Amino acid sequence: MSESILSARGLAKTYLSGDRRIEVLRGVDLDVAAGESVAIRGESGSGKSTLLNLLAGLDAAEAGRLEWTGMPVTTADATRRRAIFLGMVFQAFYLIPEIDALANVLMASRILRAPGAADRARARDLLARVGLTERSTHLPAQLSGGERQRVAVARALMNTPKLLLADEPTGNLDEHTGDAVIELLLSLCRETGTALVLVTHNIAHAEKTNRQLFLHEGVLR
Amino acid sequence: MPWYLYLAFKQLFPTKRFPFFTAISVLGVALGVMVLIIVTSVMGGFGYEIRRMIVETEGEVTVKTTTTIDDVPAALREIRASPGVAAASPFVKGPVMLMAAGHPAFPLFRGLEVGSVEDVTKLSRYVSPVGALAKLDDDSVILSAQLVQTLGAHLGDEIEIYSPLLIENLKNDEVFLPRRFRVVGQLYIGHQQLDSSTVYGTLRAAQEIYGLGRNVHGINVRLKPDAPEEAAVAVLNARLPAKLRGYLWMESWADFLWVLNLEKSINFFLLLFIVIIAAFSVMSSLLISVVRKTREIGLLGALGASARQVALCFCAQAFVIGVSGTTLGVAAGFGVLAIRNDLVHGIANLLQREETLRQFYQFSDLPAHTLPRDLILIIVAAIAISTLAGLFPAWRAARLKPVEALRNE
Ligand SMILES: Nc1ncnc2c1ncn2[C@@H]1O[C@H](COP(=O)(O)OP(=O)(O)O)[C@@H](O)[C@H]1O
Ligand SMILES: [Mg+2]
Repeated sequence: MSESILSARGLAKTYLSGDRRIEVLRGVDLDVAAGESVAIRGESGSGKSTLLNLLAGLDAAEAGRLEWTGMPVTTADATRRRAIFLGMVFQAFYLIPEIDALANVLMASRILRAPGAADRARARDLLARVGLTERSTHLPAQLSGGERQRVAVARALMNTPKLLLADEPTGNLDEHTGDAVIELLLSLCRETGTALVLVTHNIAHAEKTNRQLFLHEGVLR
Repeated sequence: MPWYLYLAFKQLFPTKRFPFFTAISVLGVALGVMVLIIVTSVMGGFGYEIRRMIVETEGEVTVKTTTTIDDVPAALREIRASPGVAAASPFVKGPVMLMAAGHPAFPLFRGLEVGSVEDVTKLSRYVSPVGALAKLDDDSVILSAQLVQTLGAHLGDEIEIYSPLLIENLKNDEVFLPRRFRVVGQLYIGHQQLDSSTVYGTLRAAQEIYGLGRNVHGINVRLKPDAPEEAAVAVLNARLPAKLRGYLWMESWADFLWVLNLEKSINFFLLLFIVIIAAFSVMSSLLISVVRKTREIGLLGALGASARQVALCFCAQAFVIGVSGTTLGVAAGFGVLAIRNDLVHGIANLLQREETLRQFYQFSDLPAHTLPRDLILIIVAAIAISTLAGLFPAWRAARLKPVEALRNE
């Protein structure tokens, strides 16, 4: 639990809106150890999604340093490394509507290579672990919100990432379904030894993680 | 299969859903391709028919010289011995003045060697009554259909023909009488240009009219069917004495064929606009798709897809639409061509205009001939234009930054 897989130092991000500068992040430091789960809470608009995007290498910080498994992340190699290093889960699921649940899970590995028998078996196994074996040939439109998010979780874990970034994964779900999804997310991460950064408003959900942080005025405490 | 091709297919043909957008785009391209195939094939058919008519009335090659050919038997011997040549027949051809029941006309007189002309041409096919050509003698002529019409001549009528030599004779104060001929038949080929006013008589009669003695103006040649035309003519010309030269039918009719080809090219470019408009509809439906799928495009980025791959995904969709539309269009085009005569006659019957059709068009059956070159051009152009239509949507998709795409809610 001591080896750090993600290390951020002094991450800063400013948005220009008209002629006003909004300093969203002003020096965020974060270390995540392998297999560790961290919750980040913060008011709406405090920059939680912005931070996750920076950690995922989807956006470039103005200042600061980011390392994945001890190696600095540059914009040039972020795209290539991202698929292997991390998985992401979003509030709005973002499943591809034209393909069924199994194909959606498989999509994560498809971006790396043409899927083989082992990949298919793994996708099926993941769907079984999120309890959707029966639903594997259903299109996203035929699934409930909770089921869609479970497919998204399976997809995020498809490439056996070291880190999972979840941005308010229960935001679009009712309380009961949300609780179930969080339980599933935490237990799957524990089983697979995947580190988790969970952005949430829900204090009960946050308290289930190893460590709780709060984003306020651009710094993480 | 790379993921972007897989996704391109899935977006075009989603699981368990009828692909409306795709169907409409594919149909647009298919319609354009179909019309292009039909029109270029029918125009090619006209060209092909005209070629057939020219070849069937004059042979593939005409051997000519600047003046007249004097040693005809020697020239014929040399031509007939050339390896690509099947048959040869001498002719005399030139303008004359004709009087029929007080009506003057200035047709072309074509003198044929009755014994050999049928080895080279298939003129007798176009002559009525049947057998009139074989029975042609030095005092009878066959008139082309158009000439018969303008003169109001009938079978058995007497006509008078004045030679251009008349003018020379008048200068010398000689009396020169016209030559009298009996009309024994008419010749109807079925094409305006070829049916224009011509008088067909024997070679000897023509030689007499023109005062040629035993000389002729040229020799019509038919090539062996399996020999490539250009090569056969080249071999023939190498054997012939310097002053004689064989011209392939295409050279002799170059101007006429050029106009025909121009018409075809203009048609091609006008009809290509159907494909271009179809490509605009492909572009707009792909643009809509890029906008609708903004968040999925963002997600693909989050999964590790590069901008180039995302662009390829949309380009591939345009390409697949182009290929499917073109395939369907080619099939539909050939399908319609296969039943074209039933269609034309059906419509004519419906409008009770079958007779009008026969009167006003040069062919009572619609000819069609698809040149491989035209087919390849249509296929390549249609696929290329459709694929180009995908470039703009692809560029828009590639330009989306995953963060911004994902924020779009
Ligand atoms: N592309 C952008 N341009 C301008 N302002 C932005 C942009 N993205 C985010 N912001 C602003 O940055 C702040 C943080 O946004 P976000 O990270 O989405 O907050 P959270 O996820 O904590 O609700 C908000 O005030 C938001 O309006
Ligand atoms: Mg947010």
